[in-house]
Amino acid sequence: MGTTSRALEVTIISGEGLRVDRRRQVKKKAFVVVRTNSQNSRSTKADFDGGSFPAWNEKLVLEMPAHARFLTVEVRCKVNSGDKVVGTAKIPVSDFAGGYFPPNYLHFLSYRLRDSGGERNGIINLSVRVKGTENVIGAATCAAAAASSLRPWMGGSTVVGKFSGGVVTGVPVWMA
Amino acid sequence: MGACCSDVRGGQQAVGGGAQQRSQATSNAAAAAGGGGGGTGPNDAVDFFYRTKGVQALFTQIELSLSASKLLDRDIISKSDPMAVIYAKKRDGSLEELGRTEVIMNCLDPVWIEKINVAYQFEIVQPLIFHVYDVDTSYHKLPAKMLKLKDQEFLGEASCVLSEIVTKQNRSLTLKLHNKKGQVGLRNLGTITVHAEETIASRNAVEIAFRCSHLDNKDLFSKSDPFLRISRIVESGGSVPICKTEVVNNNLNPIWKPLTLTMQQFGSKDNPLILECFDFNSSGNHVLIGKIQKSIVDLEKLHKEKIGANFVLPSSRHHTHEKVLKGQLFVDHFSERKLYSFLDYISSGFELNFMVAVDFTASNGNPHSRDSLHYIDPTGRLNAYQQAIMEVGEVIQFYDSDRRFPAWGFGGRTYEGSVSHCFNLNGSAGSFEVEGVEGIMAAYASALRSVTLAGPTLFGQVINTAADIAGHSISCTNSKYFVLLIITDGVLTDLEETKNALVRASDLPLSVLIVGVGGADFKQMEILDADNGERLESSTGRIATRDIVQFVPMREVHGGQISIVQALLEELPGQFLTYMRTRDIKPQTATTPASAPPQDHPYVV
Repeated sequence: MGTTSRALEVTIISGEGLRVDRRRQVKKKAFVVVRTNSQNSRSTKADFDGGSFPAWNEKLVLEMPAHARFLTVEVRCKVNSGDKVVGTAKIPVSDFAGGYFPPNYLHFLSYRLRDSGGERNGIINLSVRVKGTENVIGAATCAAAAASSLRPWMGGSTVVGKFSGGVVTGVPVWMA
Repeated sequence: MGACCSDVRGGQQAVGGGAQQRSQATSNAAAAAGGGGGGTGPNDAVDFFYRTKGVQALFTQIELSLSASKLLDRDIISKSDPMAVIYAKKRDGSLEELGRTEVIMNCLDPVWIEKINVAYQFEIVQPLIFHVYDVDTSYHKLPAKMLKLKDQEFLGEASCVLSEIVTKQNRSLTLKLHNKKGQVGLRNLGTITVHAEETIASRNAVEIAFRCSHLDNKDLFSKSDPFLRISRIVESGGSVPICKTEVVNNNLNPIWKPLTLTMQQFGSKDNPLILECFDFNSSGNHVLIGKIQKSIVDLEKLHKEKIGANFVLPSSRHHTHEKVLKGQLFVDHFSERKLYSFLDYISSGFELNFMVAVDFTASNGNPHSRDSLHYIDPTGRLNAYQQAIMEVGEVIQFYDSDRRFPAWGFGGRTYEGSVSHCFNLNGSAGSFEVEGVEGIMAAYASALRSVTLAGPTLFGQVINTAADIAGHSISCTNSKYFVLLIITDGVLTDLEETKNALVRASDLPLSVLIVGVGGADFKQMEILDADNGERLESSTGRIATRDIVQFVPMREVHGGQISIVQALLEELPGQFLTYMRTRDIKPQTATTPASAPPQDHPYVV
């Protein structure tokens, strides 16, 4: 949980079950826009053949500001008059950052897309890697484990993806 | 008219060219073999059938090599002439001979050449017995197979379980020989060493991405819908298809998704392969656009030199005459990969960590009553809970290096007075681990005396706790995979919360096995198992990355020797491999311990 922005490596893998106007299959030329805030966004190339099951397999790198809470993923398709949003998914940052994941851990994630009316419209599959974060908590528990050769996790309250106070223990870390 | 009945989309899918979709295929294959084979052992025919389709084998063939040292000297003038025999101990205690080595003359430290094949099956415990005999001189002209063992001098016996051998780093186990009564005795009878090797031909695979240009148009009103089919030429002269790409619609310059071909599929890199490009028709009559004959080595050259190879079309009139077409085949991507097997990972130090959670809800019935699912029979007959714990624990314990298993109960009222949905089975406040399968059984029995059955049936907390343990372990090492066994008698009260917990855990190295005991209607559990193709969705819109749940009701009738729990365990190696392969985690080849610092993790996007 640093105060600087981090680089996110997002690989948009594929989409499933996309429809236009709830009934028609997506004809072609679907692409994905990934956004962390209004200034940071990247897009993939359009997939010309997949139709409702497009595959992009494209890696996008973008900045994630320190206080960003969502990564927004939008599937759009090109129509005559511009772009039409097929579906959107908002990925909470806590799903891939913070917590006990080691730096550069590759997360494979999938989310439900919803269209502009809020109806379900397919699934998006992607992978996310937060580049080069300092995960001090992870390193500390790791060293403790190496030193005592017991499991690092000894029970207690479960914290999933968020730190909310508690006692901080300093453990000397030596380079293995 | 048109494709009203056929699954055109299905017909357009790629077949045989992917190494990732194993778990689905293995589960179908396992179900088929389990039902038909009767469970008496490996079914070679079924295994071969699936292998030719490019599907991973249901079980692995292992070759055992034996050697012994300091054997007893039985002969008067010369030394003993030893021979070893391996038996499998069946469930009823009887011994079935698996094979024997040759006889080595005059040697007390024999290293036998003859190997013995055993089929390794992850999901059962495979006890092996080794006998060493001194062969009497008068039998030396007979082949080893014909020798009658009861006429030979018995030198010693040893026993172990197959998974003990394969989980060792060097896959070798040395055992002390003892006499038939099990005692080592006054005399030192020596030792026997067993070494295991997988007999899988090769782990090599190639990943190739094809592209074509200027294909001929075979459709009337639109362009061709091309796909590639790759076949291997067999000795009889014909060809056997090994894989095909997906169909790209309406495109004379198609780019297909990469294919993965295993060495088992293409034989050797020099074997000629026939690549045929067809125009897809939903009627099933695909029109041949052109074909090329190339070997894997030729394809690699095409990739390196970045040139295309022209298709040819055999003329229907002159059989020897082939028309060279304008259409060309390009290889955009070519890379070699190693597909490691489950045993490769295990023997390099990867572990399966076992965790148990037991249902303490009131629906089980008062443990003192005979009808209760928790009734502990004084005659020693195991209740359903004990059976499930034993059957799963006995198999997995060999894959866990320290044999310390987290064990919890849920739905019960502990001595503290409130109902807990994740309390330590051993009754301790701090540590949730017990030692060995016997430790789980003891903790279970003592918990029954001190915990009051309550309710409702909630899985969420137990799954979250297991997921936390798995998640914490990733920061230290990538070589541990966790298996949570939940034994329950009833229907879930918190389906939403359980789904959320499972979706959150789906990207972690964790598999959840759920065994349903008793007579309840477990239809809801089948939703969690997601075998019908519906991926689990959480209430926040996240969808499960992979299917980590396997559910099986214990009361299902099972014929033959396969137990229900075995069916659960069969899926585990596949789930483990899918997790490791998607992240490109390879078995450790160096002698560094499993807890390598995080920056060494070979995560590759």
